[in-house]
Amino acid sequence: CSGSGGGFTKNYQKGYMLPEGALEQIQIGASQEQVLVILGTPSTVATVSGEVFYYVSRKTSQTSFLPETVRDQRVVAVYFDKSRRVNRVANFGLQDGKVFDFVSRTTPSGGQELSYLTYIFKIIGTQ
Amino acid sequence: CSSFGMPDFFGKADTTVPDAPADRLYNEGLYLLQQKKDYKAAAKRFEEVDRQHPYTEYSRKSLLMSAYSYYEGKEYPEAVMASKRYLSLHPSSPDAAYAQFIMSSAYYDQIPDPSRDQKATERAIKELEDVARKYPNTEYAVSAKRKLDIARDTIAAKEMAIGRFYQEKRDFTGAINRFKVVVTQYQTSRHVEEALMRLAESYMALGIVGEAQTAAAVLGHNFPQSRWYRDAYQLVSTGGAEPTENRGSWISRAFRKTGLG
Amino acid sequence: LQESGVVEFTTSAHAQSIVVQGNRRIESDTVRSYFRVGPGERLDAIRIDEAYKALVATGLFEDVRISQAGGRIVVTVVESAQIGRVAFEGNRAVKDEQITAEIQSRPRGPLSRTAVRSDVQRILDMYRANGRYDVRVEPKIIDQSNGRVDLVFEITEGKKTGVRSINFSGNRAYSSGRLKDVIKTGETGILSFFRSNDVYDQDRIEQDRELLRRHYLKNGYADVRITAAVAEYDPVSRGFNVTFQIEEGEYYRIGAIDVQSNVREVDPTRLRSYVKARQGGGYNAEEVEKTVEQMTLELARGGYPFAVVRPRGDRNYDARTVDLGFVVDQGQRSYIERINVRGNTRTRDHVIRREFDIGEGDAYNHAMVERAERRLKNLGFFKSVKITSEPGSAPDRVIVNVDVEEMSTGEFSISGGYSTADGFIAEVSVAERNLLGNGQFAKAAVQYGQRVRGFELSFVEPYLLGYRLAFGVDVFSKQILASTYQSYDSKTVGGGFRFGIPIMDDVTLQLRYSAYQQEITLSALNNCFPFNAGFCIPAAPALRQAANYGEVLTSLVGYTLNYNTLDNSRNPTKGMVLDFKQDFAGVGGDVQFIRSTFDGRMYFDIGWDLIGLLRGQAGHIAGWGSRDPNLVGNGDLRMLDQFFMGPNLVRGFQTAGIGPRDVTSNSTHDALGGTMYWGVSAEVQYPLFFAPKDFGMKMAVFADAGSVWNYKGLTSYQGPGQGLQTMTVRDENIIRSSVGVGLVWDSPFGPLRFDYAVALTKDKGVWDPVEGRNVGGDITQAFRFSGGTKF
Repeated sequence: CSGSGGGFTKNYQKGYMLPEGALEQIQIGASQEQVLVILGTPSTVATVSGEVFYYVSRKTSQTSFLPETVRDQRVVAVYFDKSRRVNRVANFGLQDGKVFDFVSRTTPSGGQELSYLTYIFKIIGTQ
Repeated sequence: CSSFGMPDFFGKADTTVPDAPADRLYNEGLYLLQQKKDYKAAAKRFEEVDRQHPYTEYSRKSLLMSAYSYYEGKEYPEAVMASKRYLSLHPSSPDAAYAQFIMSSAYYDQIPDPSRDQKATERAIKELEDVARKYPNTEYAVSAKRKLDIARDTIAAKEMAIGRFYQEKRDFTGAINRFKVVVTQYQTSRHVEEALMRLAESYMALGIVGEAQTAAAVLGHNFPQSRWYRDAYQLVSTGGAEPTENRGSWISRAFRKTGLG
Repeated sequence: LQESGVVEFTTSAHAQSIVVQGNRRIESDTVRSYFRVGPGERLDAIRIDEAYKALVATGLFEDVRISQAGGRIVVTVVESAQIGRVAFEGNRAVKDEQITAEIQSRPRGPLSRTAVRSDVQRILDMYRANGRYDVRVEPKIIDQSNGRVDLVFEITEGKKTGVRSINFSGNRAYSSGRLKDVIKTGETGILSFFRSNDVYDQDRIEQDRELLRRHYLKNGYADVRITAAVAEYDPVSRGFNVTFQIEEGEYYRIGAIDVQSNVREVDPTRLRSYVKARQGGGYNAEEVEKTVEQMTLELARGGYPFAVVRPRGDRNYDARTVDLGFVVDQGQRSYIERINVRGNTRTRDHVIRREFDIGEGDAYNHAMVERAERRLKNLGFFKSVKITSEPGSAPDRVIVNVDVEEMSTGEFSISGGYSTADGFIAEVSVAERNLLGNGQFAKAAVQYGQRVRGFELSFVEPYLLGYRLAFGVDVFSKQILASTYQSYDSKTVGGGFRFGIPIMDDVTLQLRYSAYQQEITLSALNNCFPFNAGFCIPAAPALRQAANYGEVLTSLVGYTLNYNTLDNSRNPTKGMVLDFKQDFAGVGGDVQFIRSTFDGRMYFDIGWDLIGLLRGQAGHIAGWGSRDPNLVGNGDLRMLDQFFMGPNLVRGFQTAGIGPRDVTSNSTHDALGGTMYWGVSAEVQYPLFFAPKDFGMKMAVFADAGSVWNYKGLTSYQGPGQGLQTMTVRDENIIRSSVGVGLVWDSPFGPLRFDYAVALTKDKGVWDPVEGRNVGGDITQAFRFSGGTKF
């Protein structure tokens, strides 16, 4: 249910858009090319072997200044066997997603960091 | 047209240095460079040598020294221009490697921090790769390789920052593809460990536990002692920090904590 | 790749060596090194040709010829002379440094004929961009002794070719004066040395044609065609006369409006509410564009990001109406693979990326990208923002490139000004709109004037913790000295923070907390009782009580609802701005009151270049809860918290010249302020017909009316060791009104405004037998000037 145009809450559909009735056309044994034609390029493929196509989509809602919250999240996974034929199709929903806080630490990086002082001189310098 | 020897009364004072033998000018340049550390004046003095005595060995050496002085004085565009002129006039001289190295270092010193446009970094990488390729067994190549790693590391850091930006917005497709760029194209950078861990995080948040375990396994295999591997292992094995707490996304839970929700 | 001088080769019979002839300065090895030959490879025709091209490219040689003699390659070169110095003569409009940065010939570089020719062209282009067309550039080459040459460009600039006159043909609906407002090019006039828009510039004329077309399309002329923009050069006045030929066509009203959808699940009737145009209203191309954008955004939100909305306009010639049709089709399915942010040498990547509602991996939607581009432009950090898309790594993938050009967002300004209320005032301020590239705003300002002194520090973070929530902090100190308008010095020091929240497209809500300490001081002459000619003229009891009470802390929370649809903030011609504020003081501090104010302004286009302005104001304040008796005495709230109204309510009156007054005999007759006020104003602004159009002067005729009444401060006070001073208050709710004329000048020095207003009705006050004159009446002030320069 999408909120009215100017209302407080706005709903969005983000990521992959599953075309109407496309999933039913994927039979076991179909080739990778057929999957590409029907479903299109996957959102991402398996990290190592590239033998799985993942199509990721999510529904979000956003109220005035609050951040977007994810209402629903769907992943369609198409698994291929060694001869690149479809052998399994799986469906993950929001409830499968694990809930946890991302690690906040980040790897330090090089590059010349602008300190406040150099910045102030830059403004004065450019006048 | 006004003759040139005369001081120009209206325009800028004409700063032509009186003619002097090449070696004296050259030594003045060295003095300015090493003792007085007045890099700009040193560079100008070396250029005088090239202007007044264009055929001597001194003019070749002073062209190189003017490039070096500009570089030391952080006048990077001038340093690059001087090195380029040296390379086009004396491409096969023994100092050509040094001139090329000065140019690549000039670009290298202009690398900004990762959150800004990386055009200067890409330019530095191209120049540093030139040095390593053209003059493979020189000490310049060694230093160029070291700088190359740091330059590539900055670009990897930018990809990671954008990946984290999308991860925070729960756009895991964008996040995963960005972290994948680091894992595939910047494997030698220090960010590859964190990239693998973030991949595990993103896949877990999507519920694709298999991929998360693969990413964690690759991380553990290559970097067994890394802190990132400890996080990844802990994440994948317990299936998330709070398996019981499942009331909506962590944003609504964090939201309740701040009492605004 | 080993660079060896002489090329040895093993297998072939005759030795392959390269002989270099004709070189004087450049070493033969240098020439040979351009023959890229690996060990054991033969020097074949392709390699020789490559070497030839490389040698020419260095620019070191005027001529290179390669021939074969007896198995040996002979390279004969003619070295180009080396440039000693490059100089320019006769250039005033364009500086030496600007030219040296643009041309190829460099001191100590080679002299090449082609480079000099392209340099001459480059200099001519620079002058043309500066609006000077009859410029001549003569390159002169002077041989010096040591084989060097000096290159001198002799430039004769000629006069600036400005635009002498702009005229329009075929314009019936709008006067030429009005159309000159629409376009950017201006006519050369007295002020031309200030501005550069009166210089003839071909592509600005083209832009003007588009501006004219859009202006007509916005106002009902669907068939408009700007057939030509002719610029004839007039040698006599050495300038161009520009004529825009316009075919206005008919004025169209909107006929039927219908929405159809070729996408099965989309229900057209739901989209009907987004159509901005009204049946019977004038055709407006901009409204159509806005409707298309709103519909596309709504479709994207509803799950159809690939849907495309195509507008259709079928003209009905005799009825002069346009039937609008909006057709929803299924567009091409493509997703964003990557968003590349480029050119941000100062602004951080996420400050730009967060303006996008869609991210990498989401469906590509043109309306959303355009909205992001608009948002980025409104940030005010960039000279230009261009978002382009290019095909990605797969047919349904798109790469979005965001190219920004940074501009300096730091401001260091010294501004001086004069206003009849505050006297002369100077302000020095340093502000940065994009602190450290994080998109934050920071400002520090110091004010010093005849009657006002103070400083102000403020900081704003537009995205608090990543939420689209602006957070601002301010600290200020303000001192107002006693003057004819107020008989006391007041010093206020305080600070506060505020949240800015976008509620809907044109509506923003601001929540704030503010705390300030206020203290007033009275001169001994006024802080005494009873009256003693020459020694004691008692100020109002409330003022004496406040002076003796000392510092008062006010701590309040408040909110502001703002609705703004002005077409442009500097000088609006259409739209309205409504502002409703409420403040609750009493969250701690010594003062408890609830204050509500409303201020609404509406601009509309009357036609014949006249702009109408209607304004309404109102305000109410009341104390609440248990108040400290020795702060408010027998009143409801402190006198100083009440409304003191003057020209800001009804022009023609002095600052705090309207409202309740102290009419006790022999007192300072201070204005006491009121707890209620209302004010209305009607104004018509029109351009000065006799001044040249781009002088930026406007006349205004206005009528104001309003009133302030209901004084609720204390009326009696007994100072330490003094008698009880009671005050008689004149508090008449009479309508004060005035009519007047104003001159508004958007001068190159800054906005200036002169107002002359005559009060029609006012409170004349009451006869005081003791003083033998009327007292307590409103104080008028016909003339008012306010303005300031900013440089």
